[in-house]
Amino acid sequence: MSPASLALLSPQAALAAGALVVLAAGASRRCSRGALRALAVSAVAAALVLLACTGTGQSPPLLRLDLLGRCFESVFLLAALPLLILMEADDEVPAALVLGSLIGMGLIAASSHLLMLFIGLELMSVPAYLLVSRSRSPQALEAAVKYFFAGGLASALFLMGMAMSYAASGSLAVVPAAKGLGAAGLSLMAAAALFKIGAVPLHFWLPDVYEASDPELAGFFSTGVKAAAVLLLARLASVSAGSALAAALPWAAALTILFGAAAALRQQRLARLLAYSSISHAGFMILAVAAWAAQGRAPAAGLAVFFYSAAYLFMSGGAFLWLKAAGVTRRAQLKGLARGRPWQAAMLAALLLALAGIPPTAGFAAKFLVFWEAFKAGFYVPMVLAGLGALLSLGYYLGLIREMYFDEPGPETAGPAAAGRGLGLAAAFAVVSVVLGLLPLLASLWQPGARP
Amino acid sequence: MNALALLLNLAAVLVLVLFLSNAGRLLGPEPRHEGDSDLPYETGLRPLAEAGPGMSALYWRFAVLFVVFDVDLAFLLPWALERGSLDAGSLAAVTVFTALLAFMLGYFWRKGALSCR
Repeated sequence: MSPASLALLSPQAALAAGALVVLAAGASRRCSRGALRALAVSAVAAALVLLACTGTGQSPPLLRLDLLGRCFESVFLLAALPLLILMEADDEVPAALVLGSLIGMGLIAASSHLLMLFIGLELMSVPAYLLVSRSRSPQALEAAVKYFFAGGLASALFLMGMAMSYAASGSLAVVPAAKGLGAAGLSLMAAAALFKIGAVPLHFWLPDVYEASDPELAGFFSTGVKAAAVLLLARLASVSAGSALAAALPWAAALTILFGAAAALRQQRLARLLAYSSISHAGFMILAVAAWAAQGRAPAAGLAVFFYSAAYLFMSGGAFLWLKAAGVTRRAQLKGLARGRPWQAAMLAALLLALAGIPPTAGFAAKFLVFWEAFKAGFYVPMVLAGLGALLSLGYYLGLIREMYFDEPGPETAGPAAAGRGLGLAAAFAVVSVVLGLLPLLASLWQPGARP
Repeated sequence: MNALALLLNLAAVLVLVLFLSNAGRLLGPEPRHEGDSDLPYETGLRPLAEAGPGMSALYWRFAVLFVVFDVDLAFLLPWALERGSLDAGSLAAVTVFTALLAFMLGYFWRKGALSCR
């Protein structure tokens, strides 16, 4: 491999070096927790800088970093930053695990070779199981075991699909397959990606895992890990033209959106509600991927896939950070919250409006782009079902806002104080998730020669 | 046609598995349930403990560490056999690889993963 092709992996190299330094510093027992945190955060920051300097390129057969991969990698890195900053750990292991998980995501972004994709998938997932098991909730261990077995099943599906694809094409590259053994292998591998995304009916592990994890960790899963799985699905779907997988994807997306929205309606625990809402949002990402693949990887559709993941990073990441910062877990605690904590209530309201897709927030721009691309790809019925799901989701997003602002405080309402750490980060995420929605508008105003 | 072949195959597998797992009961002599014949091991001695004794969790830590380094050594063997025909790049790669292994071994040592307590 030439130095130029190795440069494609320089963000991963920075992360790996960071992980080793963090481990060594932790083992020396002379480093404070703050110093460990600073080391891990600076490794991710270095990876971000290196990513900005890295061009696109490829080194057959293992590496291929395209624009979509680079954009997604920035999402992964940004998703990990708040987790690394807020994580409460006694030793260096969780920070090293997060960095290891990021390396795996980077390998998924930088490769289109099945072996590399599988190694990336495993490197991303195994630290995630361990991170769940170290959460503070009493159900953490049970959730970790559940996550581990579901993830193991996904890995087995991916391996089986890999073997079938290899049997059909004689190579481990991601090769187009419309029917026969190759297409079956592609579908199995896509099923593994859908498992990780949490698409219905492969979602059953997701609410338990998100509920038992610490909120900041659940935020990382719902933004970073989910985005990596979406990218994996995109890599596989891009070569599936004409196969049963390409036909099934928009329907899977519609089913996921509807089920997630319907199941979130009755949840009383906020982490679980956000988990089901993240299932619903995953459906929109799958719809975007399907539209992207159906239009022959059109750059505009690729933008829709990326923009949804980026917007979701701030909306969902912000909502989980808010849960952590406000120290609120149950829905009843939100009743009349706006009286005691007006600023925190406004923050959550902005995030919920963005998640619901109310203009002018990022959620609206993201949903609009996805619907537009799905329309261009001709997914009319799945589009209508997705619209129904989005409508249904207003029931709980706006319901939470109503409870905060228009209900009288009840006996369970959270008191005016007791704010945890990370309120500033949550506020920043809330602001970005509103401002990001104005970007397309501003961009159209700034276009030279454009008329208002 | 293919689906039919698959179904026939499935049926054949089911029949074979059901037959083999029950062949002793179907074809063999009537089993005797006397003395120690139903005990797991018929050595003539009463079993002293449960057949599956509990194993210390420490054992698994050693086992996992051993397997990790064992598998990594399996990567070194083909390199060593081909070292004559490889260039400086592969030497650098294997050096980095070995250095990583040494680092992790040192890390486990330092964290006390190699002690028996």
